[in-house]
Amino acid sequence: MKFPVKKILGLILGLGCLMLLPFCHFEGLSPSGHITLGIFAFAAIFWIMEPIPIYVTSLSIILAQVLLLSDKSLFLKALTQASGGDYVAPRYQDFYATMAHPILILFLGGFSLAKAAEKYQLDRNLTRILLRPFGTSPTRVALGVMLVTGILSAFMSNTATTAMMMTVALPIVAKVPATDPFRRLIALSIPVGANIGGIATPIGTPPNAVAIAALAKQGTMVPFSTWMMIATPLVVLCLLLSWVGMCRMFKPQLEKFELSIEGSFNLAPKAIGCYVIFSVTVLLWVTEKLHGIPSAVIAFLPMVFLPALGILDKHDIRSHAWEVLWLVAGGISLGLSLKSTGLAHWMINQVSWDAFSPFMLILLFALVGYAVGNLISHTVSATILVPIAIAMLAPDAAVGPAAMIIPIAVIGIIVSFAMILPISTPPNAIALATGLIETKDLAKAGWLVGIIGIIFTLLFGAYIWPLML
Amino acid sequence: MSKIVLVCVEDEADVLDAVIRELEPMEDVCVVEAAADAAEARVLLKQIADRGDETGVIFCDHIMPGENGVELLVDLQKDDRWVFTRKVLLTGQAGLEATVKAVNQAELSHYISKPWDGDEVLKVAIQELSHYLVVKDINPLPYLKHVDMDIVEELMRKHLTADR
Repeated sequence: MKFPVKKILGLILGLGCLMLLPFCHFEGLSPSGHITLGIFAFAAIFWIMEPIPIYVTSLSIILAQVLLLSDKSLFLKALTQASGGDYVAPRYQDFYATMAHPILILFLGGFSLAKAAEKYQLDRNLTRILLRPFGTSPTRVALGVMLVTGILSAFMSNTATTAMMMTVALPIVAKVPATDPFRRLIALSIPVGANIGGIATPIGTPPNAVAIAALAKQGTMVPFSTWMMIATPLVVLCLLLSWVGMCRMFKPQLEKFELSIEGSFNLAPKAIGCYVIFSVTVLLWVTEKLHGIPSAVIAFLPMVFLPALGILDKHDIRSHAWEVLWLVAGGISLGLSLKSTGLAHWMINQVSWDAFSPFMLILLFALVGYAVGNLISHTVSATILVPIAIAMLAPDAAVGPAAMIIPIAVIGIIVSFAMILPISTPPNAIALATGLIETKDLAKAGWLVGIIGIIFTLLFGAYIWPLML
Repeated sequence: MSKIVLVCVEDEADVLDAVIRELEPMEDVCVVEAAADAAEARVLLKQIADRGDETGVIFCDHIMPGENGVELLVDLQKDDRWVFTRKVLLTGQAGLEATVKAVNQAELSHYISKPWDGDEVLKVAIQELSHYLVVKDINPLPYLKHVDMDIVEELMRKHLTADR
């Protein structure tokens, strides 16, 4: 086995920061801020170098906060003394509570629905029905695959949607001659559709949750319907433009292609129960503005009713991607201390930002988020950037919801367009593993999607969203 | 990471060559190794296990000098290391009795009769590798290039669900 230089370096650097930074002295930073700086540096290094899985790093953050910063801190006395009695230690329960943050309950509701949809093949049957109107022209079939993948991944995880679409489409596409670029077009349409589609709803992909949770902490609630209202038009436009670009890059040679998928809707009582609960939940989510029940409250309905009716069982519940929730929870928990210890504020003050206009700042964050998102987990790159961005761009809720939501949504969303490398997102890895495409095909499509995504997200943020919010 | 090996046991050199040539595409995701008789196969299988790899599929002739193929397969079935290995009999001369023994006592996965048509061996290899991944609950991602999507669908959903 190769010697894991990166991991060991990460381990040493990360733990070194965690242990040494609290004992440094930075002008203008509180003692608790020093500890938080240590935890922040440790987390960022561990998330990037991955000596341990990223969700374990998130759990370590919570552990470190409870042991070092909470009212059960091992060093509470020393900490209080050092800060001259100024330090108000948060209750340790507050850090644990991030693991049941409403946005994560919303995700759990989404996981439950997705699991039920998979179990009764609702996803597969929807694909079958929704693809039909696209006919047999190869480029239209590609559009169909992209849009349907996008729609499903708005409600299921991008990765699960990609896995499903690949199992449905690949056996059929594999029959196309290997020299026809159409194979690559379809194999790329799926990850592109999945990555972009995830942006459309709060539960589509974890970076959305990071942005929404950070806004909620500032007191700005983003209802499910509001997120969809701003994100969905952008998603549809970016999907269409990516389709046009990709059809040029990978021009199909064959004239006609039949993507017929066999199957029929399961009409067993439990399957029908699944369809009903799925539809009702989604309907209640998108009408949040009308009835005012928060989406995280609605999300508890499928969590209760699906197992109550035997549609899901305990095995299904055990198979939820709990680690994704913990990954996000660690970030939310870190965000608590970044703000309360004044670290975020202090970090921003280290550089004179006056030379930058707000637009330039957003652009800077978006480009950094995009670049980092290509190399590491999207969720992590959003988690590292969003709390700093929020402290810098939207210091208080007094500026109004639009001025709060737009910059954070822009950053959270642009991260999701990062898909140049196989490691950028799991859907990319799956598409590459099929052997239908090569890394360079993925890079071409990834650049196209990235450029379209960055440009139009910024344009929407500058001109369209201010009219909507 | 441990590799999955496809083992071919066949005493006729030209037939063995043909099998190995047909399995060449599988080398993208697996290792293909060969043995000329049962005794050699036992040594090879043990080597594979000792170095930490696993024998996913064994293609075995029946009539060979020394121990015959079915006896080898039945013996493998009794050992924990090879109980999940997919066992394929590739023969023209296994009688009814031997075949029944292979099905009942070695849980034979597939029977290919010689001479086989076109790319039957490759198709069977893809199918049996897919079943092996399912039985052993192995993440199918590294093998997607040569698996049967219908067989691994559940497995895909199970292993590849989380965004990050």
